[in-house]
Amino acid sequence: MSGLDDLGPVHDDAAIVFDNVSKFYGDVLGINRVSLRLPGGITGLVGPNGAGKSTLMNLMTGLLRPTEGQIRVLGVPTDQPHHLFHKIGYLTQFDSFPAHMTGHQFIYSYLRVHGHPHPKAEEMTRRSLERVNLVDAAGRRMAGYSKGMRQRIRLAQAISHDPRVLVLDEPLNGLDPMARSEVIEVFEALAEDGHHVIISSHILHEVDMISDRVVLLSGGYVVAEGNVHGVRSEMEERPIQILVRCDKAPLLASKLFELDIVVEVALHDDRKGILLRTKNAPDLYGHMNHLVLEHDLKIETVTVADSDVRAVYAYLIEGEST
Amino acid sequence: MSSAPSTSPAATMDAAPQGGPDAVDWSLVRRQITGILRLEIRKNLLSRRAFVLYFLALAPVGLMTLWALFASPTEYISGPIEASRVFALTYVGYLGTSIFLSCVILFMSLFRAEILERSLHYYLLTPVRREALVVGKYVSALASIAAVYGVSTLLLYVITMSPWGLGEASRFLFQGPGLSNLLSYVGISILACVGYGALFLLAGLVFRNPVITAALIWGWEFINFLLPAWLKKISVVFYLKSLLPIPLSEGQFSVMADPIPAWISVPGLMLFTALLLILACWRMRRMEVTYAGDD
Repeated sequence: MSGLDDLGPVHDDAAIVFDNVSKFYGDVLGINRVSLRLPGGITGLVGPNGAGKSTLMNLMTGLLRPTEGQIRVLGVPTDQPHHLFHKIGYLTQFDSFPAHMTGHQFIYSYLRVHGHPHPKAEEMTRRSLERVNLVDAAGRRMAGYSKGMRQRIRLAQAISHDPRVLVLDEPLNGLDPMARSEVIEVFEALAEDGHHVIISSHILHEVDMISDRVVLLSGGYVVAEGNVHGVRSEMEERPIQILVRCDKAPLLASKLFELDIVVEVALHDDRKGILLRTKNAPDLYGHMNHLVLEHDLKIETVTVADSDVRAVYAYLIEGEST
Repeated sequence: MSSAPSTSPAATMDAAPQGGPDAVDWSLVRRQITGILRLEIRKNLLSRRAFVLYFLALAPVGLMTLWALFASPTEYISGPIEASRVFALTYVGYLGTSIFLSCVILFMSLFRAEILERSLHYYLLTPVRREALVVGKYVSALASIAAVYGVSTLLLYVITMSPWGLGEASRFLFQGPGLSNLLSYVGISILACVGYGALFLLAGLVFRNPVITAALIWGWEFINFLLPAWLKKISVVFYLKSLLPIPLSEGQFSVMADPIPAWISVPGLMLFTALLLILACWRMRRMEVTYAGDD
């Protein structure tokens, strides 16, 4: 289910395309060699904190420049804000506002900066405030807003110019259940109209119900991508890699390869270790115990080689219950 | 909450301007800069920062008023002509402190304050060319500070002349060199804001702690009279002093340099300003927003 396999051309006017994109903050990795094609509908970016979700979103909106690779949003390069931001709206992770503004002033003023004349900006402001149910509070200063209201006014600002692409960094944070369901309705309506809605979350369940597809990120890499059920089964059925160091590695490799539960075995160059992939680790350990006794093997180490990715997935699934 | 509309109003602004997709739609740019001016002028003139600006602009006016009322200047100054020499001395101090500090506060804050309050991204998420953002912010600050210092310079001059009464002062103003001098001072105040403004806007974009930079620039401008002639020219104050209607001696320790005529110093200052703004635009185009390490 790799995004690399079905990656369309960079000049794709109907999708958001990442072509081999990396971002480093000095020596620190943000994301590495990401290739993705995000078509219309709702896409969930899921991963634990520090996975690279915000970096991916900031790159998509030109707030960051890639160290390598190219990004185009509906065919527009991200270093052309004068074209890009007619098409894109972004709810960032930054919970901050220009000082001393009311909700109405906040949305109206930036629509004027977009270049909309007064009557149109006024109409668009009213409509976006209605969409997030904040008309009554629009005349109040945002400094007095609750966290949920701040989140909704920022959402109103992101959608106020009716962008075709909406990028939302943890948009459900701080919203009560009622507001959550109202906001989700807005996302679904936008997606039905052919808009691209990209939503990030550190909880798989949060985007599970509304996303058409998810991109699972960990440590700056895309570890799985596709529809939600596909990603779930890929992660659950994904063979585990196990590293075994022992004195008779060629013998152990040949015996393990006979087992149905072993997908692949590779012998190390020094012939004292093997790397194997299995779909059933507990059964494998049982078989290995028998082989140790039967052939007098001296096992030095047994290590799960891809425990990080599984730990990420476990973390995301555990988040569902919270 | 209502559902999303099926048509996009933004689509009307999507169309590429005549002349191809990369041609600049100047009408849109003009509307966008007007939008920036709306937001910024309100911030410049009505925020907490604005009160510092008003204080710096009006404090010299207040001090001059006290001098005119209580120091009996008519006893030791012969008349408006000599008073205009007193004003010239006062004005150089006013230029180097009040106007300089106001430019530091206003222009350095244009980008730096928004980086610190983490709200600059709202501008960067609009379809405004980053160069237009630099120009819009600069023009808004310049218009605000020019209005404040135009009025402040005018008040300062009128109050300096006021002890000689309406008749004598107005004769000096309207039949003597007074009005021409006054207009020169107002012009120099505005030119100072033009030059220092561009310098501090750039400093606010480049340096995390622009206060140190401002202090270094202030030091350089302050010791300008001691510098060799070729170094004097790398400053704003040198060009401004050449425009003073009443030339001043800079003291026995000063290094003399040929004064520059207005037809060179004004365009020179404008060129200097344009170069600084081009650098600021270049810096802005390369800017990334993370706010990390900007606290």
